[in-house]
Amino acid sequence: MMCAPAEPRPLAQHASHHPATLGPVSLYVHVPFCVLKCAYCDFHSQPFCDVSPEEPEHFAWAVGEAARHWAALGVLDDVLSLYVGGGTPTTLGDGLTGSIADLCAIANMRPGAEITVETNPDTSSPELAARLHASGVTRFSVGVQSFDGADLRVLGRCHDAQAAERAVRELVATGARVALDLMCGVPGQSLASWQATLERAVATGAGHVSVYPLTVEEATPLAHHVATGALPEPDPDAAAEMMERADEVLADAGLARYEIASYAREGEQCVHNLGYWTGRPYIGLGPSASSMVPVAAFRAAAASESWADPSVVGVGRVIVDVPADAARVRFTHAADTVAFIRTATGAPEEVEYLTAEEALREDVVLGLRLAEGVAADLAERAGVVDALLRLEQQALVERAGGRWRLTRRGWLLGNEVFAEVW
Amino acid sequence: MSDPTHIRNFSIIAHIDHGKSTLADRILELTHTVADRDMVEQVLDSMDIERERGITIKAQAVRVLYEAADGETYQLNLIDTPGHVDFTYEVSRSLQACEGVILVVDAAQGVEAQTVANAMMAMNADLEIIPLINKIDLPAAEPERVRHEIEEGLAIPADEAVLASGKTGEGVREVLEAVIRRVPHPVGDAAAPLKALIFDSYFDAYRGVVALIRVIDGTVGANMKVRMMATDVVTDVEEVGVRRPANTPVEELTVGEVGYLITGLKDPALVKVGDTVTLARHGATEPLPGYREVKPMVYTGLYPIDGDQYPDLRDALDKLQLNDPALVYDPESSHALGFGFRVGFLGLLHMEVIKERLEREFDLDLLATAPSVEYHVYTTKGEKVIVHSPQDMPEPGHIERVEEPYLKATVLVPPDYVGQVMELAEGRRSTFKDMQYLSATTVEMHYETPLSELIMDFFDQLKSRTRGYASLDYEYIGYRPSNLVKLDILLAGKPVDALSFIVHREKAYARGKVLTEKLREIIPRQMFEVPIQAAIGGKILARETVRAKRKDVLAKCYGGDITRKRKLIEKQKKGKKRMKSVGNVDVPQDAFMAILKVDE
Repeated sequence: MMCAPAEPRPLAQHASHHPATLGPVSLYVHVPFCVLKCAYCDFHSQPFCDVSPEEPEHFAWAVGEAARHWAALGVLDDVLSLYVGGGTPTTLGDGLTGSIADLCAIANMRPGAEITVETNPDTSSPELAARLHASGVTRFSVGVQSFDGADLRVLGRCHDAQAAERAVRELVATGARVALDLMCGVPGQSLASWQATLERAVATGAGHVSVYPLTVEEATPLAHHVATGALPEPDPDAAAEMMERADEVLADAGLARYEIASYAREGEQCVHNLGYWTGRPYIGLGPSASSMVPVAAFRAAAASESWADPSVVGVGRVIVDVPADAARVRFTHAADTVAFIRTATGAPEEVEYLTAEEALREDVVLGLRLAEGVAADLAERAGVVDALLRLEQQALVERAGGRWRLTRRGWLLGNEVFAEVW
Repeated sequence: MSDPTHIRNFSIIAHIDHGKSTLADRILELTHTVADRDMVEQVLDSMDIERERGITIKAQAVRVLYEAADGETYQLNLIDTPGHVDFTYEVSRSLQACEGVILVVDAAQGVEAQTVANAMMAMNADLEIIPLINKIDLPAAEPERVRHEIEEGLAIPADEAVLASGKTGEGVREVLEAVIRRVPHPVGDAAAPLKALIFDSYFDAYRGVVALIRVIDGTVGANMKVRMMATDVVTDVEEVGVRRPANTPVEELTVGEVGYLITGLKDPALVKVGDTVTLARHGATEPLPGYREVKPMVYTGLYPIDGDQYPDLRDALDKLQLNDPALVYDPESSHALGFGFRVGFLGLLHMEVIKERLEREFDLDLLATAPSVEYHVYTTKGEKVIVHSPQDMPEPGHIERVEEPYLKATVLVPPDYVGQVMELAEGRRSTFKDMQYLSATTVEMHYETPLSELIMDFFDQLKSRTRGYASLDYEYIGYRPSNLVKLDILLAGKPVDALSFIVHREKAYARGKVLTEKLREIIPRQMFEVPIQAAIGGKILARETVRAKRKDVLAKCYGGDITRKRKLIEKQKKGKKRMKSVGNVDVPQDAFMAILKVDE
């Protein structure tokens, strides 16, 4: 395995930079390429036909540059998970295998780290899957969306239901864990066809299912179809009913809901995503990728001489030059592939500093997405107990076993809860 | 002392947009009253809103000196009047200060409703009328057709009508010559006790109330003691002067002259348009005819969206009232909207203009409730109750009858659209009186219409159904009994005072149904079901339901989404804050507007 911890790391000499209290981090790579953009998608991605032939290679190199930059600052000393998303990473084909190997060499991956690659039925092949698995990928996340042809056409997907089913089965056959995404509330989708989609998803043997109600994002073809009346607006009540149906069908099949949109067999929860909801720091590489790190871990280091080094430039400065009351910093790179290739370690487009109190409130909001909810003492430290008591009266949250969590009603009306707490 | 034979007092009257203010600009230019470098468009319209909308709200008087073709220099007093029906009384007072008018008619549009109304007023005031066909430079100009319309429709000889263009300046000298030749010079008795007509007033922060006056008899000058006859106030004259157009003090104003009068009075209510100024001692015994109290015709509730702005709203209304005594207001409170004012206006344009000025000049965010008229309610106990707001309406069981103001509405329209006008008018409880062809292209129709129907976007409807061709004028004819009821709107079982309105019983059901449907669309889904009901007394006429919100959750929330989604939720929160919380229902401001635009 290429990610064995014994691998020598070329940048190990920078260990003096190591921020002692950072703890384990997650690493995310955004691959901004896909075969064709789907009708509902507003993520940063370019259809592969619009991409110059050398661009993927340059992109892979830039990702390596950015990773080395962070590694040099000691930020990647204990990486718990790597998630390669997009776009559709598998459009990179075999190049992807090399990139993952490079990343595992640069970052210090924890033994048994979860390494996920997003894929699509139309870019997935048994050969590529096998090679990725062999190079350390432990988990595939497949954008299936639906096993109903009509839904797939509305969503502007490049594959049909059979191709999706075949692709998922092939991925399961590699022995890696497999997650699949489904969409409900699609115009024209019936409760019966949704039920059928859920059942076929279970039958593939995938151990993880995510259920997203379709949202119409601005400036997408879907938004245009809705605006012109070519498609009806998604009905939120229908989506609500389908979300509840998903809960029942998947629970019966042994996939328990552990987050608003996430269901998994025991032990197959996504380590990487759990990090987002539990305050674990993450580093995002690539255009439009976001990172989040606690400021405290870098305070001492930033004061030390080595951090005053002018070589700590661009993106690194956002964790060095922070306002006095900042406890957490989150920053996002511009959604611009060419700019990313030019300066992989350039300053991010958007930087957000959170105070200690804001960070705690954010932890509560994100933690409440989980079935287990948040510990009562976290809520207390965040100063949101009054808000939670008000929400309890509306039957949106409940207390159990020293923790606050969403009720069944709260699952569907999460925004009411988040708005009150945030 | 000025020689009255060399004075001409005249006004320019026109339908809106026919080019009255531009013509005035050209006159000021031709007579070098305003230096070229100070020339702006619509010199006499000093408010932004007047210039933007191309309307005149305040009357103005400007003195120009004109060297005529006969080699003599004449003092011309141009009195610019508001053109809109809302200000009919002001127009009539301005006209009383004149001996003649220039009647401006657009060479393309021809005679329109306010052309007729203004011409009638000028005729009734016995003024010399000089027709002027304006905008002859337009490609669509048809001066001969318009000349014909003036003669046929208004019975005004138009063979001598001046052809002019306010844009190019053509015809301006001709019309001034016509004024000198045809408008009679003022006649008065310089030796008689002072009689001067107040035809407008405004407030100057340093000088107090400034009255615009026309001297009929006698002389007025600084340090005299004068009396306002209607308000019976005695005061000293601080200054008299003329406007060129800047205030220029003079020693005295005498027979026939037009100018301003400053007394030091600070209360605009004491200096009323139409009142007569005379001497405090040995003054005139009879005031000039025609004075009346100006009464608001339309009322609405104005509420600051942010309750903290209530004191600011009060200050702003106080300030506007200084220059606009026709604006009246009383504090009012609403369960739904908090503290505000019930404000009375001369008409819809007046209301729009005031609301816009409050928002623009005083930076207020306002919510206006449905406009209402003054209803006279006779109770079963034999009392008469004046109702300006639906909230003041007595309980249905206590009402013997309700009377509402009626208007005589005059619509001028091309014959092709007569059917559309009839259809609209019938839907608005209007009684057709008669119609006549003014010319082959213009029909004049008369209706008797309740004012309350006219203020519900009647004018907009009229314009849209006739492709903008119809024009409208109206005059008040008195109170008549009507079968009127108060329609309440209930949200979650509770009446929302700011949404109730007074409506004819036969239309109550349809209105209630349309309004509840509209509110169902406007009111966002809440955490609980919200019934919307329309009711008279306790009787429910219509019901709609806003279903409880079932799903509102951001299902995808990973690293890159967190910031974006938090912003989204913050935006939702802000939007919610802008809504009015009525009981526990969040009601967007649009809901309060919806009621203004309901056409069943």
